[in-house]
Amino acid sequence: MDHQAEMNQPVTDDVLLRRIERLQLSYISSIDDGPLDSWPQFFTDKCLYTVLSRDNYDRGMELGVMRFESVGMLVDRATATQHAAVFAPRVIRHVLGPALVDDTGEGYRSRCNVVIYQTSPDGDTVLLMAATYDDLIVEQEGVLKFKEKRVIYDTHRIPDSIVYPL
Amino acid sequence: MDGTQTTNESETDIWSEAGTTRVPFQIYQNPDIYAQELERIFYGSSWNYVGLECEVPEAGDFRRNFIGEREVLMIRKDDGALSVVENRCAHRGAQLCQALSGNTGSAIMCPYHQWTYTLDGELTGMPFKRGINGKGGLNSDFDMKAHGLVNLRVESLNGVVFASFDQNVAPLKDYLGPDMVKYFTRIFDGRGLRVVGYERQVIDCNWKLQMENLKDPYHAGILHLFLISFGLFRLDQESKCLVDDSKGHSVLMTAKGTEEGKEDTGGVRIAAPDFALTDHDLIQPRLEFGDNITLSIQTLFPSIIIQAQCNTLATRQVIPKGSGSHELVWTFFGYEDDDDEMKYLRLRQANLMGSAGYVTLDDAEALEFSQVGFTGSPEGEAAVLEIGGTDCESNDHLVTESLIRGFYMRYRDIMGYGEAGT
Ligand code: FES
Ligand SMILES: [Fe+2]
Repeated sequence: MDHQAEMNQPVTDDVLLRRIERLQLSYISSIDDGPLDSWPQFFTDKCLYTVLSRDNYDRGMELGVMRFESVGMLVDRATATQHAAVFAPRVIRHVLGPALVDDTGEGYRSRCNVVIYQTSPDGDTVLLMAATYDDLIVEQEGVLKFKEKRVIYDTHRIPDSIVYPL
Repeated sequence: MDGTQTTNESETDIWSEAGTTRVPFQIYQNPDIYAQELERIFYGSSWNYVGLECEVPEAGDFRRNFIGEREVLMIRKDDGALSVVENRCAHRGAQLCQALSGNTGSAIMCPYHQWTYTLDGELTGMPFKRGINGKGGLNSDFDMKAHGLVNLRVESLNGVVFASFDQNVAPLKDYLGPDMVKYFTRIFDGRGLRVVGYERQVIDCNWKLQMENLKDPYHAGILHLFLISFGLFRLDQESKCLVDDSKGHSVLMTAKGTEEGKEDTGGVRIAAPDFALTDHDLIQPRLEFGDNITLSIQTLFPSIIIQAQCNTLATRQVIPKGSGSHELVWTFFGYEDDDDEMKYLRLRQANLMGSAGYVTLDDAEALEFSQVGFTGSPEGEAAVLEIGGTDCESNDHLVTESLIRGFYMRYRDIMGYGEAGT
């Protein structure tokens, strides 16, 4: 980790930072506002998307509540969520904090806090989780995409279930 | 069951009808019944799961857990044996350990006034025991021996640790019975275990609904569109539902399914036919137990589930949180000798299970629908459990609620709620 930190150069290019911010905001909008079918397009073909508790992460355990390694697997999740799952309707709302962005040489590492609220059909809003995004973003044919997105959540006693990707 | 219960009139009223084809809705929502469950079941003559031995490898390691609503610590002692003590100081009741797990060294010290206990819970000392300059402190007749931590009975079976508040409880193997031990040791075969990771979720329904769900093969081929679509579970699969002699434990198993013939779903609506899964590893289990069973769910009374779905192995502990809520703690595990491919499969197939699982998120939702549905129902209203008849016997098919009926036979017996009969 420390070794990596030394290699990292803070990204100071405002245009690039704005583009990365726009990627994150478009990403959360695909989940919060839909359509969920557009969610996988924010990732590179081979990727790592995982949602894991800080409890597991700190113990060095990789187990996530979701773990997908290709756009195909992300498409499976989006399709299954919409067509092969039974759950009460809900609305998800992500709120992102500002990101720390570094150029690692392999891509841009972006880390930011995120809180995610969930609202039931009856109109009750609960905090689903407090989390961080730890992302590796690369540019492919002029488009920024996630090569890695780790959602590491502090709230490891999840209220109910995690229905949508985060 | 333990012979100390007397059935009084009001308790017969709770469940007057014989048999267990009707389960009164009030047992899921009445706080007095819930309080009785804690006393009679969780703090009574039951063995309760407290963790895996591999979670506390070194002397002084502890893991915090719950039995009912009481907190306990599973601790590795200096001699390698295990102890389980209540996580409550004998002085004024403070919680001793706050972390979920850690190492307490060679003694347990309460953070409040630093009373100190052995890893077995014996009180060994406290600051200013004799006061200062002969003033204050404890009287010389204070009996240190009488003020230890509550020390539970502990037994471990092939690395899985159970504890009981009842010092006179029957030995664990007798409590489980030979049939249940057989299937328990199919998975816990004595090989070293390793924890793959944890998941925790709070589901707003009575704890018994969670147990029912894992004793309900009938729902699995109907509710879980994901399983049905990909042939992971079908009600016509080769299967076995086993109820033990006590009726409280059970195991259900199905053999490897095929994707062919998925149109024959007994009238269940299924997902769009063009919905093909990209990730085939998810549904390609590697057989690992010397048989062709790809799903086995064992439920042990009162509140632990041992799951092997494809290659995801997990204990699911049901922790009651009031009459209308419970916490579900998933401990995903594998074996020390897992090869790299198996390690990978366990991580990947975990997508099926847990708080975001393709399969289990349906369950948590349906259970909450139940709790919401019967809340406030008039007294006397009851759930109907007649799928597969009225008995609680073992079956070679899945269209049955006999495992749930069995659970409530055991439940009524322990709770003293009338004569369950047959
Ligand atoms: S409450 Fe524990 S030492 Fe006082
Ligand atoms: Fe289920």
